[in-house]
Amino acid sequence: MLTIRFVPPADDGLASEALAVGVAPGGELLPAARAADAGGLVTRALAGRHRFDGDEDDVLPVLTASGWLVLVGMGAAEERDARRLRRIGGNLFAELADSGIICLDLRLDLAPESAAELAYGMCLRAWRPAARYRSKPDPDEEWSLVEAVLATADPAAAQVRFDQLAAVAVASAWARDLVVAPANELNPDSFCRRLDSLADLGVRVEQVDPRQTGLNLLQAVGQGSAVAPRLALLRWQGGRPDEPPVVFVGKGITFDTGGIDIKPREDMEEMKGDMAGAAAAAGAIHALAARRAPINAVGVLAIAENMPSGRAARPGDVVKSYAGITVEIVDTDAEGRLALADALAFAAATLRPALMVDLATLTGAVEVSLGRHRAGLFTADDALAKALFSAGEAEDEPVWRLPLTDAYDEALESAAADLRNCTWEHSPDALNAARFLQHFVPHEVPWAHLDIAGVSEAEEDGPLAAEGPTGFGIRLLVHLVEDRRAG
Amino acid sequence: MKISFSKVSLPTEGALVVSVLEGRKPSATARQLDEQTDGLISRAMAASRFEGKKDQTLLLVAPAGLQAQRLLLVGLGKPEEIDALAAEKLGGTVVAQLQAAGDEVVTVAVDAIDGCPLAPVHMAAHIGFGARLRSYRFDKYRTKEKAEEKPSVAKLALMLEEHSAAKRRFAALDNIAEGVFLTRNLVSEPANVIYPESLAEQVKMLADSGIDVEILGEKQMRKLGMGALLGVGQGSERESQLVVMRWMGAEDENAAPIAFVGKGVTFDSGGISIKPAANMEDMKWDMGGSAVVIGLMKALALRNAKVNAVGVVGLVENMPSGTAQRPGDVVTSMSGQTIEVINTDAEGRLVLADALWYTQDRFKPQAMIDLATLTGAIIISLGDRYAGLFANDDDLADRLTAAGKEVDELLWRMPLDDPYDKLIKSDIADMKNTGGREGGSITAAMFLKRFVKDTKWAHLDIAGVTWAKKDGPVTPKGATAFGVRLLDRLVAEYYEQK
Repeated sequence: MLTIRFVPPADDGLASEALAVGVAPGGELLPAARAADAGGLVTRALAGRHRFDGDEDDVLPVLTASGWLVLVGMGAAEERDARRLRRIGGNLFAELADSGIICLDLRLDLAPESAAELAYGMCLRAWRPAARYRSKPDPDEEWSLVEAVLATADPAAAQVRFDQLAAVAVASAWARDLVVAPANELNPDSFCRRLDSLADLGVRVEQVDPRQTGLNLLQAVGQGSAVAPRLALLRWQGGRPDEPPVVFVGKGITFDTGGIDIKPREDMEEMKGDMAGAAAAAGAIHALAARRAPINAVGVLAIAENMPSGRAARPGDVVKSYAGITVEIVDTDAEGRLALADALAFAAATLRPALMVDLATLTGAVEVSLGRHRAGLFTADDALAKALFSAGEAEDEPVWRLPLTDAYDEALESAAADLRNCTWEHSPDALNAARFLQHFVPHEVPWAHLDIAGVSEAEEDGPLAAEGPTGFGIRLLVHLVEDRRAG
Repeated sequence: MKISFSKVSLPTEGALVVSVLEGRKPSATARQLDEQTDGLISRAMAASRFEGKKDQTLLLVAPAGLQAQRLLLVGLGKPEEIDALAAEKLGGTVVAQLQAAGDEVVTVAVDAIDGCPLAPVHMAAHIGFGARLRSYRFDKYRTKEKAEEKPSVAKLALMLEEHSAAKRRFAALDNIAEGVFLTRNLVSEPANVIYPESLAEQVKMLADSGIDVEILGEKQMRKLGMGALLGVGQGSERESQLVVMRWMGAEDENAAPIAFVGKGVTFDSGGISIKPAANMEDMKWDMGGSAVVIGLMKALALRNAKVNAVGVVGLVENMPSGTAQRPGDVVTSMSGQTIEVINTDAEGRLVLADALWYTQDRFKPQAMIDLATLTGAIIISLGDRYAGLFANDDDLADRLTAAGKEVDELLWRMPLDDPYDKLIKSDIADMKNTGGREGGSITAAMFLKRFVKDTKWAHLDIAGVTWAKKDGPVTPKGATAFGVRLLDRLVAEYYEQK
């Protein structure tokens, strides 16, 4: 990860090969920029009609006699909240990552908290797949920028805040590594081994064998694979021992071929990312543990590989779930809701959750509905819906509530069992999936379901994540937990 | 079907309908009948699973001790849960049950019920309204239907003490039903009968109800610069039309009106981006938005609503031909903005773009609501129970959502944020007319948003709710007229002078 340091503004001891200074809209120079403008250089650069007007995604590097001077658009002062500062940091990193600049000296006239947020944005953006996936790294694509030094009035305070935020950035990078890992590297076994590393942070990691525990739906999803399915439990005990935990449940299909209802081949490689919900749930636990958060939280990951084979589940199979509800599997490619159903029921029965949120790359329908900007939010709990919505806006992980309704219950009626997992009729599948899950969550447990199929991977570069896995959900969940503590 | 209101007197023919509350508690009339027949109703309930729960019914043929040929017990559920909607559903259920049974006369006993928030007058009026809505049938093209396949009920009589008050209340609701039926008729008509000019002719008839109707043809629209709308219709032999309806019912005739804008693609073949053959016949109802606006205007006029309301419908037929517009064509809308037509089957938004601009430009409405069977994506998103609601104003969105709940025409708000706007950037024009499969309803709404200035505006994507594949409580399968009751309620509650 990018190295971040905070220094006092008067510190001139830096050998600044690159100095970044802030400009507000209308070309207004922030104090450090005015100081750097001694020879009129900044003014001259701005006069050059570079369409740089100080907006939040404007970055203009100028080569001077003593090195790079980078003009950074800071947006309007009143709008410089955490969200904006992170975006500014992220954009700045993206612009300069392969510029040849190694260490960037940022003098943006920021208060300690703000400096920390901007640095956090840089760190979030400074992730990409490990170089080891290529045998010969392209030197032109290597990132030169490895260190950012931020000047701020109280470096110690900035550092304290940044350490909190960096815990989330590290967890995000860890989760993105999981999502991007190909399925021959990350299968249920190796996924669980990677989770073991959380023990170093004080997380108790356990594995549950679905076959011995009656998690028959999860077992059915994974039974076609040569590698057995698993339920992983990640327990972070930062609160009182008797305090009911918040529970994050994640769909962890390490590869989803669709099973016997096999998917069309086009884009099937993307299905290595069908465990992004589990990665986000685990990432949130990672972040909370690294922060030593004074709460109890449990990650519950339903991990399986969905493969067609001689022992795979067949369309029409009826399986008795952990909750006792029988399910007819009409489509083996609607497997996420099966795996999650058992995970939710198991978590509700064994963990006494104060709150459950599940995350899953669950349906294609949610992409048709909300595109790639917002995740689908389903809950019967208005207060929880509100909390998740505002956390999403604050964290740039926006969600939109969709109906959790009995209006389409016919879609889930089976001729052979209590429920079927979907319908082939025209029916709103994201809603049906959510409603299916609701059957496995006891009414008294506050629960929300996030369908992240459209947002778990970005198709284009954004301020906080490049094209590829986003880690969507980690910042949102951590924010939710923080709000609960504060509230 | 004739609906009448009369004093309580047990019928000597046909079917008698009495109600029972949850827990097998008979209403007053049911209790009286039970005594009169030595416990017929109690015995019937004991011998069946009928418990008086909401939506339960029990039909008794040739009830001993009664002159009526049939006795229908209907469950009311819990008294405190009986509202106008429940009464409408009950009326619908009664009609649906007895239509096929063969009775010509149906008499419904409406009793006062302890603990029920709905007074008998209102209950009777809403039962009648529900029955009326459910009795709709589009059968003008059936030439050889057998008598036993036709609905039998010719008269529905509601019995209660305050029958004249109920009759007055019902008459007001029946005006709305007339609007609903007009909409359903227009939607049900095939596209060889309803095309832009013939639909405009139908609207002209609203003049009888006091609505001012103005029709713009292609020449006038060309003058106004409506290149987006005209491009959609240019493949068809039929001339495109823009129809303006004005109902000036407010005391102040200069008060800013509320405006309703409807998509009226009388048939949507998709044009050069032609649709697959399967189910293409459904595309006769791609004018559903315009039909709702037309039916709504009629309802407002019939009930003499104290509001200034404007209805604008853009009527076109989207056909492939030698003159049709091609994918890649760039058209200039009335607003001056240019549009690259990537997909000629995303035509509804092109029609609405000009209709919306024209409406706000000319009428400066206090609020503007458009209705359109706009996207398939909304069906995948919300199914056939909820229409998609997009709005640039939270109050308007809340009002619409509340009105929808009250009449059981449900809306679900969808997002309208800037990040979706970039999906309709064009390489050569101001925008393109599709944003792809992902977020398809949202990008369609973002497109429309570019044609709305500061006006408070809402867009209802009704593609999933316009045509029902199966019977609903007050809506037989087919055209639903979703939106007429909702918008009538919206006007009544928020835009009418009290």
